[in-house]
Amino acid sequence: MKNPFAHPFAKFVLKKLFFYLVVTFIALNFIFLIPRLMPGNPIDQMIPPGTTDPGRKSLRAELGKYFGLNKSRSEQYVDFWLNLLRGNLGLSMDFRPVATVVMEKLPYTMVLVVPVLLVGFFVGNWIGARAAYIKGKLSEAIYFASIFASQMPFYWFAMVILFLLAVKLPIFPTGGTFSPLFIPPLHSPVEVFLDALPHYGLPFLTLLIITTGGWASGMRAMTLYELDSGYILYARQLGFRKKKLMSYARRNAILPQFTGLNVNLNNLIGMTMIIEMVFRWDGVGLVALNAIKSRDYFLILGTFLITMVVVVIGNFLVDIAYGFLDPRIRTGREG
Amino acid sequence: MFDLLVRSPKFIFGTAIVLAIILFGIIGPVFTRDPLKPNPHHVAESPSGVYILGTGDLGEDLFAQLCMGTRNSLMIGAIAGGFATFVGVLVGGIGPYKSGLADETSNAFTNVVMVFPMLPLLIVLVALFGGGNASMFLVATLIGLTSWPWAARCIRSQVLTLKEREFINVARMSGVKGRKIVITEIMPNMLAYIIIVFVVSLSIAILTEAGLSMIGLGPDPSSNVTLGTMLDFLGTGSTSIALPWNYWWAFIPPGLVLTIFLLGVFIMQSGMDEVFNPRLRRV
Repeated sequence: MKNPFAHPFAKFVLKKLFFYLVVTFIALNFIFLIPRLMPGNPIDQMIPPGTTDPGRKSLRAELGKYFGLNKSRSEQYVDFWLNLLRGNLGLSMDFRPVATVVMEKLPYTMVLVVPVLLVGFFVGNWIGARAAYIKGKLSEAIYFASIFASQMPFYWFAMVILFLLAVKLPIFPTGGTFSPLFIPPLHSPVEVFLDALPHYGLPFLTLLIITTGGWASGMRAMTLYELDSGYILYARQLGFRKKKLMSYARRNAILPQFTGLNVNLNNLIGMTMIIEMVFRWDGVGLVALNAIKSRDYFLILGTFLITMVVVVIGNFLVDIAYGFLDPRIRTGREG
Repeated sequence: MFDLLVRSPKFIFGTAIVLAIILFGIIGPVFTRDPLKPNPHHVAESPSGVYILGTGDLGEDLFAQLCMGTRNSLMIGAIAGGFATFVGVLVGGIGPYKSGLADETSNAFTNVVMVFPMLPLLIVLVALFGGGNASMFLVATLIGLTSWPWAARCIRSQVLTLKEREFINVARMSGVKGRKIVITEIMPNMLAYIIIVFVVSLSIAILTEAGLSMIGLGPDPSSNVTLGTMLDFLGTGSTSIALPWNYWWAFIPPGLVLTIFLLGVFIMQSGMDEVFNPRLRRV
């Protein structure tokens, strides 16, 4: 029987898996180190200001024991990993498990990230390829618009769009996930969906326009570059139809764009967190904002941990998809 | 390298925009009022002859804030961008010349760090280290600390192409040591490239700082003005109540300055790309 791991594609997948395990390991060590490197003691920040001395001291000792800070560093490190493996990320300030709080809000974030990533990729690349193909004034205009969209600060664009489409022209609500007084568990899924939809509009549009701009300007440049290369010029001499030429150029131009998906995903997660804060969309970003305001350290670290996990899984999937699309990797033969 | 860059109209145009904004940040604050001084008689006024860009919700002169904010944002960008470029040169520039374990390690480390979602990481770092009233220097350092991988990767790829050039081979064959080749042959040829990596890092740092300030994690807004604290929408700054009250003059100008600066850097960078990558020039 043939060894299934001998297949070049399986080797590629295993190599990527190993790489992302290393990334996760290093990131988790950061999460252990960061609170221990910070100036001052997180415990001191948790004690309400104005607590007088005998009470403050005993509260400090109690909290230290509770969080295991009275143990040695090596014991803390072992505890940290044991807790992680059990899915225990500690408690937030309101005594709920951090893992539960963050996982509850993760779907709201993913509902923004995944559609924006996919729709932005397809729409942006389509626009970019078209713009390269038509040339002339319209192409230039699309180019400048997409450069502008990709270069302006996304959070500022969020404010502008909020000002224009929610304050000046009240088409969309100014923020939130549901209407005021709407309690999701009391309604049917369809009603919940219909109520959230208008609130979803602005954050989705903001993220989509910014990411689409980036893809379109990149794709236009890549397609123009391909249209100018030898094999296209040769095919044109042979009298191939324009549509055929375009499809060749597009297929070669899209491949490098795929490698950009990784970086795009990493940026998009960060962008989504801040956009959620601006529009008060109830995702992980809003949890992070509230955690920062109340100095809830476990929750802040928990939001970072979960974005890290999402990014690692996302990157791994993108890499696998890329390997599948690139025949050189799929078959393990050099081009 | 510089003589080639100077002949690129794109590069000149982008550089002109960037220099104009730097000049605005240097000269502007000299002629304007105190950007943080409240004025209870002129609260939240729309633009007028006296207050060119209107006033904030405590009566601060927003044009003065814009000038000072541009200066401070550029300073934060310079510190963070300088830090990122320095680390980038160390990691990306020395690595490829010490082929072998050192190169493998530094490159692998760069690739690992590239996967981290930097903005969430920065949010954690500033929230924990800054504790609500960070200094400009601390914010700048933390931004630099998280943004060097991009610089390292750019510099590494440039060193790798330079390494194969003839004059480097000549130097090596005549017995010059590896480190000396990097310092006397490769780095001088990369100076223009490193400067542009610095400018781009600077622009990314400014963008990041403004994003952090906007969510109340930037430098302490009660004593510092940056383009970001002017957008401090979720914290305590002048725009926190600007949106519901239609104070467009409070948040449009700082965002526009940021956008123009970033566009300038982008044009400059694409001009540079054409010089370093001649095949693009035909497009």
